[in-house]
Amino acid sequence: MSKISTGSFSIEELENVQITIGSIVGAIEKKAEDEGEMGPTPKPGISGLRDWDHKLLNRYEPVYTPMCDQCCYCTFGTCDLTGNKEGACGIDMKTHQAREFLLRVITGAAAHAGHGRHLLHHLIETHGADHPIDVGPTNIKAPVIQTVTGIKPETIGDLEPVLDYVEEQLTQLLATIHAGQEGAAIDFESKAMHGGMIDHVGMEVSDIAQISCLGMPKADSEAPLAEIGMGSIDSTKPVLLCIGHNVAGVTYIMDYMEEHDLTDKIELAGLCCTAIDMTRYQMDNGGTPTAKIVGSLAKELKYIRSGIPDVIVVDEQCVRADVLQEAQALSIPVICTNEKIMYGLPNRTKDDVDDILNDLASGKEAGALVLEFEKLGELAPRLVMEVAPIRKEKGITALPTDEEFKELTNKCVHCLVCEMACPMNLPISDAMTAAADGDLTPFEILHDKCIACGRCEQECPKDIDILNVIEKASQKVIREEKGMMRAGRGQVSDPEIREEGVNLVLGTTPGIVAMVGCSNYPDGTKDLYDIAKEMLKRSYIVVVSGCTAMDLGMYKNEEGKTLYEEFSGSFLKGNLLNVGSCVSNSHITATTIKVAAIFAQRNVTGNFEEIADYVTNRVGAVGIAWGAYSQKAASIGTGCTRLGVPVILGPHGSKYRRALIGKPYDSDKWSVYDARNGEELAIPAAPDYLITTVDNAEEIMPMLAKSCIRPTDNNMGRMIKLTHYIELSKKYLGIMPDDWHTFVRTETDLPLAKREELLKILETEHGWEIDWKKKKILSGPTMKFDVSAQPTNLKRLCKEA
Amino acid sequence: MADEFPFEISPMFEGERVRKDGMYVELAGPKSKGFELVKSVEMDEIEDGKFTLIGPDLSEMEEGSRHPIAMIYRIAGELVEQDLEAIVERRNHDFQNYIQGVMHLNQRYDIWIRVSKDAMKKGLNSFEQIAKATMMLFKNELPFIEKIEATYITDLAGVEKELDGAIATYTARDERTRDLHDEDVDVFYGCTLCQSFAPTNVCVVTPDRISLCGAINWFDGRAAAKVDPEGPQFAIEKGEVIDAEGGEYSGVNALAKSLSNGEYDRIKLHSFFEYPHTSCGCFEVVGFYIPEVDGIGWVDRDFMGTAPNGLPFSTMAGQTGGGKQIVGFLGIGINYFRSPKFIEVDGGWDRVVWMPKLLKDKVLADIPKDIVDKVATEEDASDLESLKAFLKEKNHPILERWVEEEEDEAVEETATAAPTMQMPMMAAGAPMAMPAGSGGSGVKIILKNAKVSIDRVIIKKSE
Repeated sequence: MSKISTGSFSIEELENVQITIGSIVGAIEKKAEDEGEMGPTPKPGISGLRDWDHKLLNRYEPVYTPMCDQCCYCTFGTCDLTGNKEGACGIDMKTHQAREFLLRVITGAAAHAGHGRHLLHHLIETHGADHPIDVGPTNIKAPVIQTVTGIKPETIGDLEPVLDYVEEQLTQLLATIHAGQEGAAIDFESKAMHGGMIDHVGMEVSDIAQISCLGMPKADSEAPLAEIGMGSIDSTKPVLLCIGHNVAGVTYIMDYMEEHDLTDKIELAGLCCTAIDMTRYQMDNGGTPTAKIVGSLAKELKYIRSGIPDVIVVDEQCVRADVLQEAQALSIPVICTNEKIMYGLPNRTKDDVDDILNDLASGKEAGALVLEFEKLGELAPRLVMEVAPIRKEKGITALPTDEEFKELTNKCVHCLVCEMACPMNLPISDAMTAAADGDLTPFEILHDKCIACGRCEQECPKDIDILNVIEKASQKVIREEKGMMRAGRGQVSDPEIREEGVNLVLGTTPGIVAMVGCSNYPDGTKDLYDIAKEMLKRSYIVVVSGCTAMDLGMYKNEEGKTLYEEFSGSFLKGNLLNVGSCVSNSHITATTIKVAAIFAQRNVTGNFEEIADYVTNRVGAVGIAWGAYSQKAASIGTGCTRLGVPVILGPHGSKYRRALIGKPYDSDKWSVYDARNGEELAIPAAPDYLITTVDNAEEIMPMLAKSCIRPTDNNMGRMIKLTHYIELSKKYLGIMPDDWHTFVRTETDLPLAKREELLKILETEHGWEIDWKKKKILSGPTMKFDVSAQPTNLKRLCKEA
Repeated sequence: MADEFPFEISPMFEGERVRKDGMYVELAGPKSKGFELVKSVEMDEIEDGKFTLIGPDLSEMEEGSRHPIAMIYRIAGELVEQDLEAIVERRNHDFQNYIQGVMHLNQRYDIWIRVSKDAMKKGLNSFEQIAKATMMLFKNELPFIEKIEATYITDLAGVEKELDGAIATYTARDERTRDLHDEDVDVFYGCTLCQSFAPTNVCVVTPDRISLCGAINWFDGRAAAKVDPEGPQFAIEKGEVIDAEGGEYSGVNALAKSLSNGEYDRIKLHSFFEYPHTSCGCFEVVGFYIPEVDGIGWVDRDFMGTAPNGLPFSTMAGQTGGGKQIVGFLGIGINYFRSPKFIEVDGGWDRVVWMPKLLKDKVLADIPKDIVDKVATEEDASDLESLKAFLKEKNHPILERWVEEEEDEAVEETATAAPTMQMPMMAAGAPMAMPAGSGGSGVKIILKNAKVSIDRVIIKKSE
């Protein structure tokens, strides 16, 4: 039976008979089974990897930070959960917080999976289910999918059963949110990890489908550079602004523009991940992206208020709920293109393009829902060509004139209500005073830190449109907001990983830092640049995606180069890689899976636990979601943690309600087995968290270095990692870290330039015995160094077990 | 100690570039002269930590000027030997780059150094500071250096005077490296550094076989084993020669057995087909057997296309690794192509039929003259047919191996003659018997002019 394949064929002996087989259920699993390589957990259900989660949660215990003391899920409530009280259903505070966290995670996962399903339906319709998956040079085309589900997809049609699985898991997980279900916080935590893992599967489906079908760069370290920034948009041209995360519809606009010679005549700009994917579209053979990127979600309201966009097209996720109102006030027609966002607009999908065009251009309708992409492709460019001249002539903008600006700044009574409302508590009042005195600098500084949520305006008793004031004051800096971003490259290729292997082994690459997530930064975008630059200079590999990838491109060095121009884009030491949009985050986890497959020949198929065990003990990678705001950031981060990649969140991350923190002093928790003989093996307490929040960029720097320490580091690797840990701690915190000595196993682990000095400290402060003639450590370390030791958390992988 | 220097010392400055406008002084480089040299001497010949400068010091040099420089380090110690000089010397480049504000490029007589204005502003004003920092790093990293003394020369006449001697040393060293073979030494070196990622791989590094990653040669192994004999790089007593041509030694076999927990007990260092060396993950090149021509092809990581067998590097590389002995695929370091024992037992270069153009160019000088034009590249052969044709046309020595096979092939061809467009399933089943609901007899259905559309076929385990 395994010889059956899908497609159409004839049988010689049967006259004029054609047989078509649509899909073969179970065929892929069967094939893997036949090849004898299916791991123990293909398509795990909620309990499938529970043991693994509990192992992780035993070492990294949940710490809850409730946003609210009450539960109002059902009509028994509202229930007060403070002071160890139980709610009407019997749930306690920590379990409820864990449930809330799970809800965040599956909401995020559903956003990506829903995106993936929409995209896959569409691409199968346009390209056919047999369209091959092509993601660049790789032996494992879909590492996350293969590891989790055991499926090895070859065509985009093969991705359908993968999404079926994702959707089933999400339904089961969502069901557990219901009142009166799970009663143990730790099992909600395990479920959250399941949801996070599932998210990476959904993301991988989305991105490999679009990479394969939409001509996006395929593991291309030299993907082209795209222009980014509010200042890079040519506002003299008709400006068509696309906002969201799903590029499917926009590709039709781009094709129409190309076919009708409009590419040069219309300024096509994007916000959020749609923007990133617009610059990837049809760029797999090089070229220069014609679409430009305005920036992340934080730029959304700012850019609409500028009045520069002439038409707005929205798709899904991370799109403000008030785009229509804001746009309407400035006569900007809005086209909704995805069922997830319809803004109450009339469905014009079946209408004639000319009719829709007339209604929108004349202002008769503020917007339209158009779910048919062919129509959208024609409508949006024609509409923008028609309305732009009128709008530009009128000079429509929400920003005040110079005179109005003066009035507004004088109107402020400095009641500070706006500052209380501001999630960043930005010093708006002082900036108003300075502006009234003619000094715009404080507002210019606020412009970068402001995430443009508009909450200040909602509260202002004087009805000052504060955001407009900030933006008006910052016109000079906005004009200079021009940067470059390397278009998303997609996966990391096998040859790159093999080439980099020697650096990872010899410690010349001290670790991998993945900077991902949204734009809810605690102190503006510059932190990202500083963190990335510091780590790149230290030869860490820095991988970025989504909003972070965008904001990173906004800063330049003395020579006017962005980090993308300063550092190359391979998976090599000291390189900066942009994998792509939000859904491209799956390529980061996929890379760690490939490391296990390539260097250790681990079977990845349906073998999540073993791979996660490998990554946990061996791969020095850490994620930062510095501006995490979205539920998707919660699910992406949680997916990383189940695989053993620790994640640091910015300060707003505490609002996700929980962290996973280890206790370095509890030595029982820092022990694993040696797979060679099943004996217990002490391991260093690093990382000492799986997901946590950090207050400021200074604190994060040494933490990143420490987070890349792993039990299997050889002496060269450990030496370099310790060097950076100590240096970064001294540089940014002004102190020697208090735990550095716990990572020292032999004198060869000590930073080269400070070996003697550190030996002295070990002797005097920690009572270690040193042979000064040979400069050797005689006693002191709690761990032995044995590069051949094979640390594992899984007893079943031990030889003698 | 590090704090006594007016500059920071850290690997983070390795990538630091000192550009023209930020440069205080340039030393050696393409427009001047210079060299770096490490010499081993007897313990009583030098004074530990001593620095001698011949010529002007940094503080005496004009901003923006260019000067020659020679950096000579003399090292001594019980374990110091001439064979280690090159290994130590190569670290001068790394260590000087650790110094903030100092850029060191290239090696030997090609060195090119720049010192930045910023470094001078922070208090760097003498070569002594640089030399002392470098000597400190040498001693920390390579504790077998018990004594070290440095002499820097910055006047042209002085540099020129020493240059010929230095070049002679380099030449002698290169000859020694080239002439040193497996049979000339008693010990090989094992390297397990990559076990942090590839848990079971052990590289056996010999004078004729560089590590798979290309980073560790026999001399590196020797130096590291002296620093820490119990560390990840260690000596392997060769033991008895079992197969000289294939490179099989009793010492290596014993080690293989113990380190693989008995998984395999024989390794032939220069064999492709029989007990080949294990592969890790970061090998630079993968060799693959092409049964159709009975030859071996090689493909490197940078080659983006597919080899004549239709497979790209990534796929073939995926067939081997993880410290396993896999017959048919072999990972190697590029320098192994330069080894005179290169897959000797399998016919050496006579067995090589294909490699990417860029890879071939890289090792061109080391391919025997009589075979060099007979090894195909992607420009000559993109698939098996064109490869066969090329090998025939060039009269590649592999042809001698074909005689027998061609007879076999003829038989095979008749067997599969006139391939039909049969679907793979039920190849001979018409009229086909549909599985019936009950019993074994079934219903006989004859299909004619039919179109059968099956939405999905469900495969179940037979109960």
